[in-house]
Amino acid sequence: MSAARRTVQGVPHDDRPTLFCLHALGSSAREFDALRELLADDFDVVGIDLPGFGEASAATGTSVDEMVGHVVRKIRRHGSTRFVLVGHSMGGKIASLVAARTLDGSSGLFGLAGVVLLAGSPPSPEPMGDDARAQMLSWARAGISGDGHLATADARTFIDDNVGAPLSPENDDRALSDVLRSAAEAWLAWFERGSLEDRAAEVGILDVPALIVAGGSDGPLGEAGQREHNLPMYPRATLEVLAGAGHLLPLERPDELADLIRVFWRERVGSGPFVSPGFGRVIGSGRTSSQTRAILAGRALPDDPDYTPQVLDAAQFATLRLVAERVVPQGPAPFDIAGRVDAALARGVSDGWRNAALPPDQEAYRLGLDALDDFATLDDEAKDSRIQAIVDQQYAPRAGTLTAEQMTLWFEDCRVDLTRTWLAHPATMERIGFDGFANGGDVIRIQGFTELGADRREAWEPAMPGPSARDTGASTTETTDTGITDTGITDTEKETVR
Amino acid sequence: MRLDGMRTYDDSEVVDAVVIGTGAGGAPILASLASRGLRVVALEAGANFDASKYTSDETEAVAINWMEERLSDGENPTAFGQNNSGKGVGGSTLHWGAFTPRPDARDLKLKTDSGLGEDWPIDPDELTGYIEKVEKFVGVAGPAHYPWDPTRRYDLPPVARNASSDMMIRGCEAVGITATDGPAALVTRDWHQPEHGVRPACANCGSCHQGCRSGAKVSMDTTYLPLAVAKGAEIRADSMVHGIELDASGRVSAVVYTRNGIEHRQRTKALFLCAGGVETPRLLLHTGLANSSDQVGRNYMAHGATQVWGKFPTEMRSHRGYPSSIITEDTVRPADADFAGGYLIQSLGVVPLTLSTTLARGGGLWGRDMVDMMDSYRYMAGVGINAECLPHEDNRLTLTDELDDFGIPKARISFTAHDNEDAIEKHAIRTMTSIVEAAGATSTTVLARTAHTIGTARMGTSADSAVVDADGRSFDIPNLWIADNSVFPSAVIANPALAIMALALRTADRFVAAGA
Ligand SMILES: Cc1cc2nc3c(=O)[nH]c(=O)nc-3n(C[C@H](O)[C@H](O)[C@H](O)COP(=O)(O)OP(=O)(O)OC[C@H]3O[C@@H](n4cnc5c(N)ncnc54)[C@H](O)[C@@H]3O)c2cc1C
Ligand code: SF4
Repeated sequence: MSAARRTVQGVPHDDRPTLFCLHALGSSAREFDALRELLADDFDVVGIDLPGFGEASAATGTSVDEMVGHVVRKIRRHGSTRFVLVGHSMGGKIASLVAARTLDGSSGLFGLAGVVLLAGSPPSPEPMGDDARAQMLSWARAGISGDGHLATADARTFIDDNVGAPLSPENDDRALSDVLRSAAEAWLAWFERGSLEDRAAEVGILDVPALIVAGGSDGPLGEAGQREHNLPMYPRATLEVLAGAGHLLPLERPDELADLIRVFWRERVGSGPFVSPGFGRVIGSGRTSSQTRAILAGRALPDDPDYTPQVLDAAQFATLRLVAERVVPQGPAPFDIAGRVDAALARGVSDGWRNAALPPDQEAYRLGLDALDDFATLDDEAKDSRIQAIVDQQYAPRAGTLTAEQMTLWFEDCRVDLTRTWLAHPATMERIGFDGFANGGDVIRIQGFTELGADRREAWEPAMPGPSARDTGASTTETTDTGITDTGITDTEKETVR
Repeated sequence: MRLDGMRTYDDSEVVDAVVIGTGAGGAPILASLASRGLRVVALEAGANFDASKYTSDETEAVAINWMEERLSDGENPTAFGQNNSGKGVGGSTLHWGAFTPRPDARDLKLKTDSGLGEDWPIDPDELTGYIEKVEKFVGVAGPAHYPWDPTRRYDLPPVARNASSDMMIRGCEAVGITATDGPAALVTRDWHQPEHGVRPACANCGSCHQGCRSGAKVSMDTTYLPLAVAKGAEIRADSMVHGIELDASGRVSAVVYTRNGIEHRQRTKALFLCAGGVETPRLLLHTGLANSSDQVGRNYMAHGATQVWGKFPTEMRSHRGYPSSIITEDTVRPADADFAGGYLIQSLGVVPLTLSTTLARGGGLWGRDMVDMMDSYRYMAGVGINAECLPHEDNRLTLTDELDDFGIPKARISFTAHDNEDAIEKHAIRTMTSIVEAAGATSTTVLARTAHTIGTARMGTSADSAVVDADGRSFDIPNLWIADNSVFPSAVIANPALAIMALALRTADRFVAAGA
């Protein structure tokens, strides 16, 4: 993937998805330096210093909520609208909360595609031995009554207690100096409050692709801790255990982590369509209501490649996927329209009516797809002729399925479902130039539109790809193929009779 | 809407009236009766929404629609659901388009004039009086000068025109049709709504069909229902009525409903059935009441609502702004008509999923054609009609043997357009295509559809041929009244809600006058 820089609406960005990395207690964004280098070709790796650590002052507040707010602001300022949250240890709790608030629309961010937890602290109270907590609390208290930082000996002990094997001298120096420059009050805040807070109900179940990595020789946040506390919140997570690794995974095992993240992206996150930064920014903006943003955020999430159909059997589902390809030819980055239709059928989503000649929706789908069980054997042209024959009521399905008339009626429903599912994805909305979801935020005085005429566009509106750009995969251009600039008025507009 | 602090009544208390449904029919009645000091309870199957929580997202906006399954039959099966009816405190006015032409006096005398259809047993001037009352109370925007009715006045200036509006004006001018800003039930400047508060001026957000988040659009929960509650009415949301009990003398004595899984029985002196053109006849057929005429469910009518869309060289992006701001009434009685009645034309903006559904169903599109069409979404603008539909006995709602969650049989609605509907449609397609082409469209697409659910418990002068009398009172059960889209004897080409509200106020007056 190219990392070419270009500018859309004056905001710099590049084509790579972003990994926003949140470090562990006592560490800093520097712990991700190795990962950044290893992943540079594929990802924009952005470490964020949490308040009281690294270069970040504790002045913006060190509570969990203040850390979450700090991260949200950093992400918004960065501007990425296609990103993965990576949280190491303490940063894991923050990552889960940022993810939850992004999926419920309240953070004002858009573009979350996945979560990676590295020995992550869970949203629930962190499992921690009483002795360990007491020891670290005493270090923090000593720091507070001293120069505001931990003592060197305590910092040394902390690092030694947290690695599976000694770090390289360079990494060790870096880790030690990060502990020493961190604010003791941020430590205190974490042990006295942050790590104890139970935020599990607030986070809920996060239906986002997730990668959970545990160190095989880690303590309470090792494999068992991850299984018990983080895995249940991430039903779509894969759990990986790095044998022999301790708690400081990004420092101990950057190469293996880089590989895991690349595979995670390739296999579970990166395949579907996504919106351009300009479009994502509008979804994230105060012009879009939190409720609508949450809906779009959920729909933009990558599909589960291992989705197992709930209503259709495997053969019917395979046929539906083939039918979907012909009914909605999507372009270079397709998503699983058939899977989403099956899921909607399973939820019992009704459109309020059915033709009296048809059995109930689920049954009609099963029978209609059974009638097409030879679909895979047809080439594209034959598939299309078959579909047209169904539309024209010229196709006589085999006995035991549907009649020719029913087939036509069922396929009408089917194509409506497939098409609506396609159009409901934010990337399709961008493709066709629809920004009507951004017609008002969480206010009674909703913004609406002020420019309503042909070829008129408001300053906040995202640039839209012209029809010629859409199949090339380019997601943003400055002009449309009709030669109309963003704010231009054509001659036709001037002729308009008012 | 705010329901905390409202007066409440006990199930066992014999209230003066129960109103089933809080839409265009039920809400004005509730307000009117409560204002006279009557003890009234509304039972509404849908939820009580916080309007600020509506979403413009089309898929999720169905929260305010009646999505329980109905079965459609006939040559032109009706698409229900999102296209058709609402559910919630406010009924279908939560998601209606708020396009409010007034019924034309000629439409109320269709049979006298043409020999076809039915006359309304109501004096057009009397209806107009009630319509003016509604318009005054809820706030309707319209042009300063209404070309087809010079004496008419609207209290609010017209809603902003969008690219579709400009297109229709341009096209009509080119082909010699008079068109102007249409009447829209929304406020174009801040408006103080009694017992509700300020309704901010329309923001041209374009999401009327997904629910108006600001309250600019007229809906019952921002107009008649707050008045009703202030005057002592109770609104019980999430209360699905499935039974009606009669006393020994054959009068309604109680209504049976389920709320949060628990069955209740509200005692009452009178019942107003305002559940809409599908649910009203379904409930009557289910309970077997008020049907000595065998007219319940018959004469189901759906307005012809065919659309013609054009592709333009300019970006129209017709999701912006109020969707249907331009009207022509030149086609109410076209000079060259080979049919009875006529139609109205309005400009059309549309949101993508709705358009694609009509393209798939009404236009037969799929595959590359569909994708290409949607790829040119933002270059599209259209016009559409609301056309006369004659009543036919065999266009009919009946019950199936499939039961819903409440044990009520699902409805089957059979609808077939007859010659008159077909003739109107042909004429309208010609007219609309000429407008859209004259406006500069490079290609056009015709999409067939119908709208509204009308006439299944018709009003009339004889107990043999109608379900209710001219006052809206059942011929069979003296304390049962119906006021919603189902009482229309003929479809009338004006979109229905304004007339439903007006009729509702009239029915309330008649009820009180009858001392019932
Ligand atoms: C998309 C759309 C756009 C429209 N646009 C326009 C327009 O621009 N102009 C216009 O004039 N009209 C328009 N209409 C039509 C208009 O909304 C309806 O004609 C009108 O609201 C019907 O009023 P009603 O009282 O008959 O029924 P409704 O308003 O539908 O109210 C019926 C209520 O009864 C409740 N109910 C039903 N059964 C039961 C039960 N058993 N127990 C308890 N409660 C029950 C329902 O939940 C509902 O709230 C539109 C309709 C749709 C669907
Ligand atoms: S266009 Fe106006 S009336 Fe319609 S929903 Fe938006 S603000 Fe409300």
